[in-house]
Parts: sequence; C-alpha cells; structure tokens
Amino acid sequence: MADREDRPAADDRLPRGWVRHPSERMLITPLVAGIGGLLAFFTVVAIVVWLPIHTFDPPASQDWAPLSDVALKGRNLFAQNGCYVCHSGYSRPQDVREALYFLYPKVSQPGDFYGSDQSPNLLGTERTGPDLSQESGWHPNDWQRAHFFDPRFMDPKSLMPDMKSLFSDKQVDQLVSFVEERSGKSGLLRYAGQLYAKHVVLANQGFPEAYRGFQGAHKKIVESLPDSKLVAPKNQLEEAPNLSQIDRSYWLAGDPLPVTEGNLLRGKIVFLERCVGCHGLKGDGKGPGARFLSPPPADFTSKDDACCGGDTGPGDFYYRILRGWPGTAMENFGERLSVDDIWRVVLFVKTIPNGTLKPNRVPEPKDYIVWQPSPELLAWVKSHQTLPTNASFQKKVVTDPFMQEAMRVLPGLNASDHLQLNDTARTPLSLTDAAAGIKALYTDMLNRAWADAKARGEKMPPDAQKDVPPTVPGQQ
Amino acid sequence: MGESRALTSEAPAPLTARARSGFSPFPDGAAKHWILSSIIWLTVVDLFGLVLATEFVTPEAFGGISWLSFSRVRPSHVNGVILAWLTMMYFGALFYMLPRLVGTRGMWSERLGIICAWAWNLMYLLGIIGLLTGHSQGREYAEFIWPIDIALLVIWCANIVNILATVAIRTIRPIYVSVWFFIASPLWLAVDYAIGNVIWNPGNVWGSRSGALSSSLSDAILNWWYAHNLFGLWLTPMLLALTYYIVPRVTNTPLYSYTLSLVSFWGMAFFYTGVGDHHILQSPTPAWLKTIAEVSSWMLLVPVFAFTINILGTMKGNWDRFFTNLPLRFTMTAFFFYFLVNIQGAFEAIQPFNKLTHFTNFVVAHAHLALLGAFTILGMGVIDYIVAQVYQRPLFSRSLSEWQYWLVTVGFTGFFSVLTLAGFQQGFAWQDGIPEVNVLPQLHAYYIARGIFGAMIVLSGIVQIVNIGMTIFTNTAERRRAETYKVADAVAPPVTS
Repeated sequence: MADREDRPAADDRLPRGWVRHPSERMLITPLVAGIGGLLAFFTVVAIVVWLPIHTFDPPASQDWAPLSDVALKGRNLFAQNGCYVCHSGYSRPQDVREALYFLYPKVSQPGDFYGSDQSPNLLGTERTGPDLSQESGWHPNDWQRAHFFDPRFMDPKSLMPDMKSLFSDKQVDQLVSFVEERSGKSGLLRYAGQLYAKHVVLANQGFPEAYRGFQGAHKKIVESLPDSKLVAPKNQLEEAPNLSQIDRSYWLAGDPLPVTEGNLLRGKIVFLERCVGCHGLKGDGKGPGARFLSPPPADFTSKDDACCGGDTGPGDFYYRILRGWPGTAMENFGERLSVDDIWRVVLFVKTIPNGTLKPNRVPEPKDYIVWQPSPELLAWVKSHQTLPTNASFQKKVVTDPFMQEAMRVLPGLNASDHLQLNDTARTPLSLTDAAAGIKALYTDMLNRAWADAKARGEKMPPDAQKDVPPTVPGQQ
Repeated sequence: MGESRALTSEAPAPLTARARSGFSPFPDGAAKHWILSSIIWLTVVDLFGLVLATEFVTPEAFGGISWLSFSRVRPSHVNGVILAWLTMMYFGALFYMLPRLVGTRGMWSERLGIICAWAWNLMYLLGIIGLLTGHSQGREYAEFIWPIDIALLVIWCANIVNILATVAIRTIRPIYVSVWFFIASPLWLAVDYAIGNVIWNPGNVWGSRSGALSSSLSDAILNWWYAHNLFGLWLTPMLLALTYYIVPRVTNTPLYSYTLSLVSFWGMAFFYTGVGDHHILQSPTPAWLKTIAEVSSWMLLVPVFAFTINILGTMKGNWDRFFTNLPLRFTMTAFFFYFLVNIQGAFEAIQPFNKLTHFTNFVVAHAHLALLGAFTILGMGVIDYIVAQVYQRPLFSRSLSEWQYWLVTVGFTGFFSVLTLAGFQQGFAWQDGIPEVNVLPQLHAYYIARGIFGAMIVLSGIVQIVNIGMTIFTNTAERRRAETYKVADAVAPPVTS
C-alpha cells in the first residue's frame, strides 16, 4: 500500500471503477508483452513456416509439365484478375469419382506443383465454379474463347462473370493456353487428343479454323465446303468419319423411353436450360455462342436429317450428349444430366423440325420424327460391328497412352479400321494414325513448354523427366 | 451537475473533472482521423459486398464494366474489410484508449498519427484502384502490389513507434490487459505482413508476375499462414483488447480475473500462430503440418474460453446495462459471435467436417461470422462509444443507434444462416457427385436472401455515418437541453409575477 501513498495522483487518473493492478502480482511489463510476444510468435513460425518451407520439396511428379511462355502470361492474367476466388487449383480425394466422364480424373499430388512457374500458388478456398487443376483438354480452344466472352453462351446456368470487357484478343488466347496447359502431362495428352479430333472434324467437313481471340463476336458463323467438294471415298459410308467418334454399340440404338408428352416436355425444358446458347432458341445451330465455334453447332431443324441421317440416330445423339464430341465444342453432359434426361432431350430433338421450339408450344408425340437407318448404314454397321474386332472384347490391354487417347476421341474405330476422311486429300483415319498424330502434337507442346521454361530459367527437374510418358488417369 | 447528468443520461460517464465541464483533456486528433476514416471505409467495403451479392443473383448486372467484375471486386472487398475498415477502426480505438490506459495526455505524437491516417487512406485507395484495374499479386489476402505493400508496412511501423513511445512515457506503471495486446499485436502483424507478402521478392511491381516463394506449395503454406494470422494476430487480439476495455469501463466493474487474461494472451500467441494450414487441409501439403494446424485449432479454445469466462465474470450483475447501453450491447453481441466463430472454426479444422464444408458457402458464412458478426459489430459499438467521448456529447439520436444495431444484427444473422444452409446444400450435393454448376440454380433463393440481408448491413453502416455526422456537426446536448426546457415550460410554466 506504500505505492498508493507515494503516487496518489496516478490513482486519480484511473477511470472510475477501475481496479489497480495488485502490485504483488505485476503481470506483464511492456517488455514482456513486446519481446515475449514476438518470441512466442517466432517459435511457432519456425515450426509452421520456416520448417516446411525448408524441408518440404517434393520432386516433380510423373505427370508434371512446365508452362509455355504464352501459357505463363495467361497464368498471370488468371492470378491478377482474381479467377482463383471461384476456381480452386487442386482436387481432393473425395472429388475423384469413378465414372465415364471426368472433371476430376485424379487427386492432386505434391509433385504436380513442382517448378517455379507454378508460383504464386492458385490453390484457392472456394468453388463457385469447378476446380480447374485438371481442366486441360476437356474443352477445345474455341469453346474456351466463347465461354470467356460470355459464359452463358456455353452454359446458361453459369454464374461466371463475362470477360469480354476484361481481356483483349491476345490476352484471351493467353488465358486459353494456360487453361489448356495447366494440368500437366495428362492434360496435355487430353488437349492433344482434342486438337487431333478437331483436325479430323474440320478436314472431314471442310470447315476453316475458328476465329482467334474474341473475333468470333463480330464475324459470321463459319460454313463448311459445299457438298460437291466433299465426296465420301468409295466403299465408305459418308458418315463413317463422324460415326468413328461414337461407340459402335450406339450406332443403331433406339430411344428406350416412350414418346410421351411428359418426356418430350421435359426434354424441351432441358434443351432450353442447357443447349440454346450454341444450338439457338430455334434449334438451328445459330445461338449466340455459335459464331466463335468451328465446326459450328448442329442444326436440328431439318426433317431429312431427323428421319434419315447416317449419324443422327437416337443412340448417336445420346452418346454425343453423354460423352461429348471431341474436336467440336459439344462437351460431355454425362455428369450434369441424368441418363433419363439425356434420352428425353434426344426424344425432343427429333420433334424440333416440326416447330416444337416455338414459345408456348407443347411438343406432342405426333411431332416426333422416327429415325430410320438407311440401307447403306445397315450395311456399314453389319460390316463394322463384328464381335471379333470389337475393341471391348480385346484381351490385350492397351498400355500406350497415345493409343488410349486415340481410343477416347475415336471410340467408334477398331484397331483394324483404316478409313479415309471426305476431304479431297483423303486423309487417312485409323487408330494408329490418330495415336501417332496425338503423340506428335503432345510432344510438340511439351517440348515447346520445356524449352520456354528452361529459357526463362525456371526451377526444372532433370531432362529425363520429360521423357516419362503421360498417363491417362482414371480412363477405361 | 446533477441536472446535466440527468439530461445526458445516455452518454457514457465523463472521465475527469475537466471532462465534466465539457472539454476533454485528451487531444484525440489521431483517434478521430482513424475512426472517422474507418466509418467511410465500412460503407465502401459494404457496397463492394453488395455488388458481389448482386452478381451472385444476376451475373450480368454490371456487364461490361470491367472494374466491377466479380473477380476484381472480391479481393477489393476482402482486403478493404480487413485492412481499411477494421484496421483503421482498431487503430482509432487504440489511439483513443492507450493514452487513457497509460496515463498520458494523448499519444506520443498525435501529429504522426494523423499523418499516418491520411497516408493509410491514400495508399489504400491506390491499392483498391489497382485491384479493380487488374493490378494484383494474385495471392489471396495478399493481393496488393509490392509498392503498396511497402508503403502500408512503413505506415504500420510508424504507428508501432507511436504506440511504443506512448507506452514508454506512461505515468501509470503497470499496464492493463488491453495494453498488452496494443503492444504485441501490431508487432505480430508487422512481421506477419512482411513475411506473408514476401516483401523481399518484389516480383513485377505492377503485379504482372507476383513476388512469391518459387515453390508453389510452400507459397500456399506461407500464404495461408499469413492470411489466418491477419485474424489470429491482429483482428482477434484487438477484439479482445477492445472488449477488455469497453466492458469493465461501461459497467464500472473491475475485470474478473487477471490470471485468465494471461491465459488468453499467451494462449493466443502460441496457438493462433500455427493454424494457417487448416485453410488447405486437403491439399497436398505435409501431413504433420496439417496435424499441427488441426491440434492448434482446437487448442485455441483454451484462450477463447479464458476470455469468455473473464468477460462473463465481469458482466455478472451488469446485464441490465446490456439492454440500456448501446456500445455495451454491440460489444456483447460481437462477443457472442466471437465465441461462436471459434467453436465453429474448431470443427471446420478437422478432416471429416472439412471434407463436407470446405470450398462451400459454409466457409463464406464462417468468415462473415468473424469479420462481420464479431469484429464489425464490435467496431460499430466502439465507434459510437468513442465518438460520444471524444466530442463530449451524447450521440445525435438514440433511435438511429437502435436502428443501426438491429439492422446489422438481424441482417448479419440472416446472412449467416442463409449462407450456412447454402453451404450444407452444396457440400451434400457435391458429396453425391453433383457437379458445381448443377448446384448453382438450387442456391438462387439463398443468394437472393443473402443480397437482401446484405443490403440491411449496408444500410446499418449508412445509418451510423448519418448518426456520427450529425453528432459531430450539431450539438446534441444543447438541442436536448432546449427540448427539455420546452417540455418543462409546457408542463410547469415559469411563474410570472
């Protein structure tokens, strides 16, 4: 209490009701709070920051690949514009689902993040949109451009902001490069497959390359060569190259659902919810996104196609909705639509030529156009749907990743098939050609990225790592 | 004296003999600048939030305006909430409380504090403009480009000098609990900010390639250690410091236990620093680090409970004031949300729960529980309290304060509930293998509700601006006195003879 008497003034200065520190228990001095607080802080920092940074350096995983210069510019744009606030950058064990159609084909490994071009980190903490760590190759570049311009063009349910005011033509192509290169070797392999399939589709139907950047917004929808210049090779069905991208068991498949008003109406709803961005409100393939795309979206308004096309059977449509059409902007909806809904959309699409997409028009069973396979198609199926050559029955497991990828983008081909495209050059179409082509595209992209990263002086694994072949995670 | 006390009964008790005559002995120049700036920032960052909420409902609402693009506004919102609104409010409160706690006439240098406030405002404005025009380092919570980082750090260090110098010239030797945090917390954050922003590696000064650790996963570990410690070592300790001041001060009750405050101080220093990795619990970072993060997240409950018991002990017998005293009501509401956010956070930091809720709106709700429910509501109450004290007059309008309280409390509670439900819906849908885009239409109703509740929160901030503005620019005491005389004259007319 001597303290109290010594300095009565200090007591006065204390707020009313305030207790003085009991002087026998002097708790913390400024020095203890400051220095002691920092010591406690640094002790923990040494453990949770210094230690992991200096000991955690996993080697590059087999799947790791560097980014090319263009892709790295795209990555910087991705970071600068805050894309990571909605798109995370790693997939977790529970994200990976065994299915035919993958958004998350594998769990991210520590070694996937090797290399200084993966910095700054883009791990993210929220998913309003999907994780993008394995996005490469699931969509072709023209789809990506249309989607960046206005995401609702490609997916009417999307909440992503449109990027038309954010990026120049050059920048959007850099972003596309980043998205298509970011998923390591397996992503590059998928993208190579996508590019190869695009070559096939464009050559077969005589379409020009898609417009670069956002140019598509101001241009006309691309058109294919006139039919006179596209003649099918002798002894080959005109639609054979298209059918080669559809599993052959679907070539003649019928719609399992009955043609009822309920099924058709549900089909129309789903069509309006998901498909009109590209295929248009009239179903004529002239939706707002169509101008970006080459080949352009399918036109469903022709009665002739609906009843008698070689590759317009219900099974063909079903397969393309389920798994997408590599090389075109048609993406797989297998994860987003139920099997029944897909079949209902297929039912509905066959009523579009009768004007069922008009507003307030309820599609009725009498609008349904029954598809009949032509004799040529039946003959083609008969000669190409033989059990012994069916890939599904092959005992020998395919281990070559490029062949696996070729089989993914050309699932309708058998190992023994040697077809030709309809272009005047008669480009050959077979699994071996495709595997070689995909390998060439893949190797070219990887070499370019590797050389770019080396020239930039990035942290790189030994060169031998480059030759480790890619894997096809989770496939077949 | 008795008469004026009755007339201004809502005003917190005046401090000293001089204060009773209507003049504060403290200059409070620095406190005023920081506090008044923070009120403006609150509405700015709230409006950013409202833009984001609108874009969740109609993504094309601001179509074509690049600087209102969601991805650019969100970092501006997050950075603005933490380092513009809350930080300026905290420094303002600190500059108000510290001289009163250590017995000095104002800060060591009020002028330095004022210069820092202007500099901080300017740098923040530049930083936000940078983010909105695409100049960002792209590291979450550490987006500002390098020159801004450096400027902010310099201003921060100037504030530290000011604080430590004030403590050094103190006339009351023992330092109160709040002052422990006032000393330690800015120091912690300065180091955290410097390390977390990798300031030794500027990268491109315009942000086109950010300065980060060259190894991506190490960078992520550092990034999230830093981001969590914005809360753990700055926002939370300052919440404790302010609550330790406001509650005993308003209730005129001594702090329940100094020993418990020791536990809360040292527990915070040791356990809060190591939890950062729980933000990336399922990423391919080292397992042992995740274990530390999980264990620390639960050990955190030790200082949290110590603080809770301490405040509840102090409040014992004082709960009537919870209903009558608005700053106390704000503070105790924030205290309740603070307790809740820690319990919730502990659960989020364990693997099974994290698997379900991570990446969903549940986390967004959790973040708002801390930053809006706890820190912002506390800030609103503290500002109401401090402005009344600094200007030595009651607030302009009690009912505006009530509106402010109920708007933010109801708005936030609705906001939080809606996003939590949306988070569970997302989590369970993803668990069933439903892809993200298919869940979005299900969330539409939640997003609309969130926007409405968010608008209430914005309104609450605007109500505060009006109330504080009118308090400063009109003399409430004078007005009340005139009103009282008017009533008195009507009831009992002066005897004329």
